[in-house]
Amino acid sequence: MVGIKDLGVGIGWRSEIDLTVERLPGVDFVEVVAENLHIGHLPESVTLLLERGVPVLPHAVSLSLGGADPVDLHRVEHLGAVAEAVGAPMVSDHVCFVRAGGLDSGHLMPVPRTKDALDVLVANVKLAQANLPVPLALENVAALLEWPDGELSEGQFLAELVERTDCWLLVDVANLYANARNIGTDPERFLDEIPLERLAYVHVAGGEQHGDIYHDTHAHAVLPEVLEVLDELCSRVAPPGVLLERDDNYPSDTEIATELAAIRAVVDKHRG
Amino acid sequence: MATPTEARDTRVSPEQVGYLAGGPQRAAETALARLLDAGLVRVSRNGVVSAVHETDLGVTTAVETGILVNLRQPVRFEPVVRKAGGSAEMRALYQQLRAQRLMRTPRPRLGAWWVFLAIGVVLALAALLQPWTLLGAIGFLAFAYWSYGAKPLTKAGRAVLEAVDADDRVLTVAVEGFRGRIRNQAVGDLFGLPQSVVKTLPRKKKPRRGKGRGAASSAGAGCGAGGGCGSSGCGSSSSSSCGGGGSSCGGGGGGSN
Repeated sequence: MVGIKDLGVGIGWRSEIDLTVERLPGVDFVEVVAENLHIGHLPESVTLLLERGVPVLPHAVSLSLGGADPVDLHRVEHLGAVAEAVGAPMVSDHVCFVRAGGLDSGHLMPVPRTKDALDVLVANVKLAQANLPVPLALENVAALLEWPDGELSEGQFLAELVERTDCWLLVDVANLYANARNIGTDPERFLDEIPLERLAYVHVAGGEQHGDIYHDTHAHAVLPEVLEVLDELCSRVAPPGVLLERDDNYPSDTEIATELAAIRAVVDKHRG
Repeated sequence: MATPTEARDTRVSPEQVGYLAGGPQRAAETALARLLDAGLVRVSRNGVVSAVHETDLGVTTAVETGILVNLRQPVRFEPVVRKAGGSAEMRALYQQLRAQRLMRTPRPRLGAWWVFLAIGVVLALAALLQPWTLLGAIGFLAFAYWSYGAKPLTKAGRAVLEAVDADDRVLTVAVEGFRGRIRNQAVGDLFGLPQSVVKTLPRKKKPRRGKGRGAASSAGAGCGAGGGCGSSGCGSSSSSSCGGGGSSCGGGGGGSN
């Protein structure tokens, strides 16, 4: 795979668990939320990991590339600057919008899967790519609703996005599982439709069922069902990297290590 | 290392050892050390302490419970220790130590204690010629004894401390504190704590060493948390000069009168 090297198994670096991340065995790479880093004074922990040779990948949450508002190039430049500061081989954000009409949703909102919405997304992604020093990967989000009049399945939408922008894909199997539970997405069809050769890496996270809704909380344990989706993905392609995301309610070091080991076991199973 | 819930060969807990060795703040450090050791809390590189969720089992003392309750939201390292050191749970711990006759109300030494002693000795000698001065000698000697003051640790308390063998990291914190050193290693390093975090804690004056076999051979406690000094009036809050022991309250010495 050109441009994306083998990353291994990683974890989302968060300041609350920085020491945990530093001492966890078998962390091959980490991902940082780009908006939380400041150029010029990287967290000591991130610097330490870089000194150890651990790849650090910036992950953005605020580019709002699926929105109709003009792309905020300051945010794109910040993401690029973080990538250069940590020597990252790529950056990522989501296939979503987070603001419109001057309002910030505070949430990763799904994009309508229409040709018109895809045109907007493609234009924004191309603009972002032109202002980034490294390749851009885009992640599927968890949705609690589907916009009406959708013309493409999620997999088709992402496939066309990749074809028209040459971006990479960051597949979140927890989001895929959440969509399967909440809006009836078929994970196997999704995996059939996306260009797996453009897979940058994979996210794995936990969630919780509340009534009829599965919430992709990133604050609970990874469900076996999510690992089954990862297993399905790994049966089709060897992902360059798989990363555990945890954003709140951080469990003990032991539990985090156990989740990482479970992820590694799935990956290794298919690597023979 | 093992997670101790009792100091080996003693009838006191690590927290109590911490209290005897360095007062309420040291006991609070010990409770925090135990929670760290058990994986119930974590500290970040910038010194924020947070509870580890979904693992609220395993708390062994009221002080530990108090710390975890305080950590419903992440709190910085030093305030966690300071607040626990001045808590009601810590006052209860102090009362336990008093009930076990390991601690007592400290009494400050009067500067002129030796004058009363000298007068008492002179009167005692004079009693050889004038027996009636014996009463005065007894009075002055008794007053000299009283004015010499009393350290917070009783003889039994010092004996407990001398018997402690700090061979695990929680007891090492109890004896030396997070800021201490043992075998040329910073105690904070035993928990992977950055020095920038450990140094937010107030430095405790090193107590005079004694002849005991343990690392805690002659440490002495500070006065009680939040009024734990009883009627001596030394320190009614955790931020007082009594906080870490070795203070004007009489902590830190191996001997009392």
